[in-house]
Amino acid sequence: MSAKIRRSWLLVPMSKADRLTQARQAHADVVVLDLVEFVTEEDKPAARERVRPAINALQGCGAEVFAQVDAELLYADAYACVWPGLTGVLISRLEAPGQVAEADTLLSQLEEARGIFPGTLEIVAALETAKGNHAAYDISRASQRVSGLTLGRADLIMDLRPEPSGEIHAMPYLMQRLITVAHATGVMPIGAWWRAPDRGLLATPDNTYQAARRGRAIGFQGSLCLLDNQVAPLNQGFTPAAEEVEAARQLLMAYDAGVAEGVAAIRQNDHVQGERIIDRGTATQAQRLRALADACAVRDQEKVEALSHPPLAIP
Amino acid sequence: MATHRVRRSGLTMPVVTKRFVDNAWRRGCDFINLDLEDSVPPHLKAYARSLIQDAIPNVSKGGAEVFTRINHDYILADLEAIVWPGLSRVNYPKAEYGAEIRKLDEIITRLERERGIRPGTVEIGANIETAVGVANGYEIVSASPRVKDFGGASGYDMSRDLGVEMFVGFDQFVYGKGECELIARTLEVETRASPFVANTTGSVSDPNLAFRQAEAARKCGFRHGGGLNPAVVEPQNRGFTPSEEDVRDAHWVLEEYRQLAGSGDTWREVDGRIIDRYEAARARDTLEWASLCAERNRAKAEAVARVQAAMAEHTS
Repeated sequence: MSAKIRRSWLLVPMSKADRLTQARQAHADVVVLDLVEFVTEEDKPAARERVRPAINALQGCGAEVFAQVDAELLYADAYACVWPGLTGVLISRLEAPGQVAEADTLLSQLEEARGIFPGTLEIVAALETAKGNHAAYDISRASQRVSGLTLGRADLIMDLRPEPSGEIHAMPYLMQRLITVAHATGVMPIGAWWRAPDRGLLATPDNTYQAARRGRAIGFQGSLCLLDNQVAPLNQGFTPAAEEVEAARQLLMAYDAGVAEGVAAIRQNDHVQGERIIDRGTATQAQRLRALADACAVRDQEKVEALSHPPLAIP
Repeated sequence: MATHRVRRSGLTMPVVTKRFVDNAWRRGCDFINLDLEDSVPPHLKAYARSLIQDAIPNVSKGGAEVFTRINHDYILADLEAIVWPGLSRVNYPKAEYGAEIRKLDEIITRLERERGIRPGTVEIGANIETAVGVANGYEIVSASPRVKDFGGASGYDMSRDLGVEMFVGFDQFVYGKGECELIARTLEVETRASPFVANTTGSVSDPNLAFRQAEAARKCGFRHGGGLNPAVVEPQNRGFTPSEEDVRDAHWVLEEYRQLAGSGDTWREVDGRIIDRYEAARARDTLEWASLCAERNRAKAEAVARVQAAMAEHTS
């Protein structure tokens, strides 16, 4: 499991400077400064100019800062984004491992030129086309910097529409494929299990919460979103619920007692699941769940403390 | 999205059953698939081959395209018998390897040259009906430019290959269908897919079910139909064609989208609906498809009128 807690990735378009103040207060684990999806072509040069001040303005708010850049406009976008304070780039519409290798080299050059420790910048690969998904395994292994995979807005970019069941066509397959590849390559699978009428990362807070719960159930660890009011549902949805944590605590207590008596597995009665057998595998799952809950609590505390301080004055 | 040929409805029929073949032009199909495979018993295969050349102009006189489904094991004999002017497509069942498709391509290329057919006219439909076919999908599609669409990995033969029931209330082919669809999209051929609509009865002649499936497929962006019973032709034509309301809605979306230009925003919400470049693209797609469907309907109606006029002249 990835050590980093990144449940909510709030996209903030660089076409508008005014969203930034709210984004600072949104309690997102990650703020993604967007140069791709929500910036018109004419607006791109001006939007690029806004990225460096935006990175500075977000320092101290408790969120990590990524920038969403366009695989086809990588040089211009990366030159505008790679400054101290940036954690990584989310590269939109990646399709081939060669593009990742090229991005890796470019990031190294920019790190050197701009006084950033070598290897700092991460890459999250947004696989939003068929080619990108087909090459997912090779893309994910193309650079040490790759730390996450996401389908981004694949539903819109690949024109995948709702089926009568409410599932978005082909997404159950694509999600499981991405999650499998992400775990196989040791990177974070980023996404949520959206269903109609949810669309292109847009959904009501309640639907966002449900998408996060379903997403966590199939292995996602955090998701992108567009609206400030989706952040809390994502944070909550990707954090183990209090009852889950309590059940895990009781399970581990019973299991540890059994192990102390010299058995490898115990029977446990649990009001949710009825009687079941607890062995080492189940116990390990419970330990991980508790560790995740603890890490989420630490992360939440960090953000609260960060926001209680006044913003750092940037000269 | 690639230009769509309009293939909303089609009947697969044994070429040896004269009354099916003789009435095919009256059915209103976008295509007729003359079968040499599962619906023709082994002792009639040779006879069936001898019928194809005359059947092609016969079944297409109502405006339908003509396809032939050949046998996996008799490639050469079948192709020699079917590649004649007027044939649009060879459907190859149980495709499993790229080498099979290359062999088909080679023979078709020779026959086109010998018989005065423009090179590249005859498409190859690679039907994926086995697990091996799914595993080799990428090399199958890459094997020939005649493969212009791809998908499948569902249906009777697939369920037999996997040893699962065909008619169940859930989608038993999620992986195979997903894999084939990803390959089609990656190699930029048209996607042959459909959303899952439960069919637990096994009916192939229920017009309501056919309509629901066709409409669901169209709303998902897919356009390929086809069946075995004449009762499903009209519901498929209707279900795969955008309704008047869909066309009106598409015009509305494009009008709303035009108002975004110059605002600096990439999306906005109108009456609870998102308007952005993706919705605009879907609307354009709907209008383009609606006009292709209308053109196809007109062409078929004119063809049928010509046949009827000729028949009237003949009897008078």
